[in-house]
Amino acid sequence: MSTVYTRPLARLIDRLQRLPGVGAKTAQRLALHLLKQPDEEVAALAQALLEAKQQVGHCTQCFHLSAEPVCEICLDPQRDSAVICVVTDSRDVIALEKTREYRGLYHVLGGVISPMEGIGPDQLTVQPLVRRVSQTMVKEVILAISPTLEGETTILYLGRLLQPFTHVTRIAFGLPVGGDLEYADELTLAKALEGRRPLD
Amino acid sequence: MFLKHLHLQGFRNYPDQALDFMAPTTILLGDNAQGKSNLLEAVLLLAHLQSPRAGRDQELIQQGAEWAVLRATLDRQPEPIDLGLTLRQNGRRSMSRNHQPVRRQIDFLGHLNTVFFSCLDLDLVRGGPAGRRDWLDGILRQLEPIYHNLLQDYQQALRQRNALLRAEVVDPEVLQLWNGQLVQTGTRLMRRRWRLLHRLAPLAALWHSRLSQTQETLEITYAPSVPTSSDEPEAIVAAFWAKLEARAEVERHQATTLVGPHRDEVVLALNQTPARQYGSQGQQRTLVLALKLAELHLLEAVLGETPILLLDDVLAELDLKRQHQLLAVIQDRFQTLITTTHLGLFDPQWLCSTQILEVSQGRLRPSVTPVLGLE
Repeated sequence: MSTVYTRPLARLIDRLQRLPGVGAKTAQRLALHLLKQPDEEVAALAQALLEAKQQVGHCTQCFHLSAEPVCEICLDPQRDSAVICVVTDSRDVIALEKTREYRGLYHVLGGVISPMEGIGPDQLTVQPLVRRVSQTMVKEVILAISPTLEGETTILYLGRLLQPFTHVTRIAFGLPVGGDLEYADELTLAKALEGRRPLD
Repeated sequence: MFLKHLHLQGFRNYPDQALDFMAPTTILLGDNAQGKSNLLEAVLLLAHLQSPRAGRDQELIQQGAEWAVLRATLDRQPEPIDLGLTLRQNGRRSMSRNHQPVRRQIDFLGHLNTVFFSCLDLDLVRGGPAGRRDWLDGILRQLEPIYHNLLQDYQQALRQRNALLRAEVVDPEVLQLWNGQLVQTGTRLMRRRWRLLHRLAPLAALWHSRLSQTQETLEITYAPSVPTSSDEPEAIVAAFWAKLEARAEVERHQATTLVGPHRDEVVLALNQTPARQYGSQGQQRTLVLALKLAELHLLEAVLGETPILLLDDVLAELDLKRQHQLLAVIQDRFQTLITTTHLGLFDPQWLCSTQILEVSQGRLRPSVTPVLGLE
């Protein structure tokens, strides 16, 4: 690489390539694009990177990404503070917010139980969650965690822990909306069958 | 089912080779290390997405090539199927079915069914239990492709539980949850293995008595790590929990999972004596042949189609009588690909109706003697 690119350019490409979803070609395109930009543009990007990193931390209540000690969702008086939706990470909060269907609060776990990665309940925000649920009036905890093996284990763990305090539910999984039963694969179908519910 | 067409590019020692199968039996003739077995390996990869001998895809790609492409056209009910598999140096694969990309393995598996018999299969009798478990798993994957996912789930639960057992401090509650996952995923495997052996054992015993023409009786028994007498899930789950509890102390001490289908055994016994200790090499060969024929007939019965039989260098190892018995079973009913270094041991009359291809340095050409069929 060093013979093709001059040293600072090679460094930039290398840095960009470490980002998720960025391969060699994309990194090169981004780097060349940046070089063509006016100085202010590049400075603004660098500034934005640094500031985001320095200023964004976690909400002390729900552990969603936030520049303030308590995030906007937790502060919003319009939201139903008696419902908490537990998710794996902040990306899930963003995805759920986009649905505009959910008006309760969140709790970001920071991962799922996975002994192989050294992640147990103590590495997750489980204790703060139990405190939240036991100390405030929470009517329902919704577990919105992916049904992988590790996710299921985490769901079981949280279920046992929280059920003494409140009503615990988990999101439905299975068929995609508009999906045709006939075309669903047997794994998904089996899961959907397992998670069936009475007609209301 | 009938494999009509195979096209290999950049695969092992085949730079670019297309091939039409013209007869129920195809003999691949050539010296060692010319690419005979590579061709069977290509068929196995398209069938199971696994190679019996390569650990990494890099080994499968021709030296100097970036990728390898394998394509097959298969005549089967109700419609013919095209399968495509691309292997890359970086290990990424892409699959296609009827020229449409397929993302998940489960959608690719189960279309091409094979029974593979190589000289290494003697290890089924002589080797350790892992080989016999792999054999069972291979059949189950073909019978129901979802087994592949069930096995992966179990292996993941096992890895997670082992990691937990190795940790310095083990939270008993968390361990209990992983026990639950191990039991749940493991029970699914055990039930399927139990049912498979229940059907396979009588077939194998029957074939064995026909092949050996003696009073020896072959008995195949499932000896699971968790003892069970049925495939009732409740019974297996209860037994699994009981054994986990009984072994808890030892497992903590050894920091690894000692209970579960990863420790299952399949016992092969001739006249109540473990076959490993019992027979001569000839007897062991007969036993493996009986297992393979049982596998062939079971797959046919369950799938409603005849699987493709792949014989890698084994025919020559069988004596003439067994060879004839095997060829009589195959007749024209099963498409068979046979690799061999010389034709001398084959019945000349039988050879007349076969397609013979000479394999030399990654190239195929019709043999100068009988039938042809090359592009």
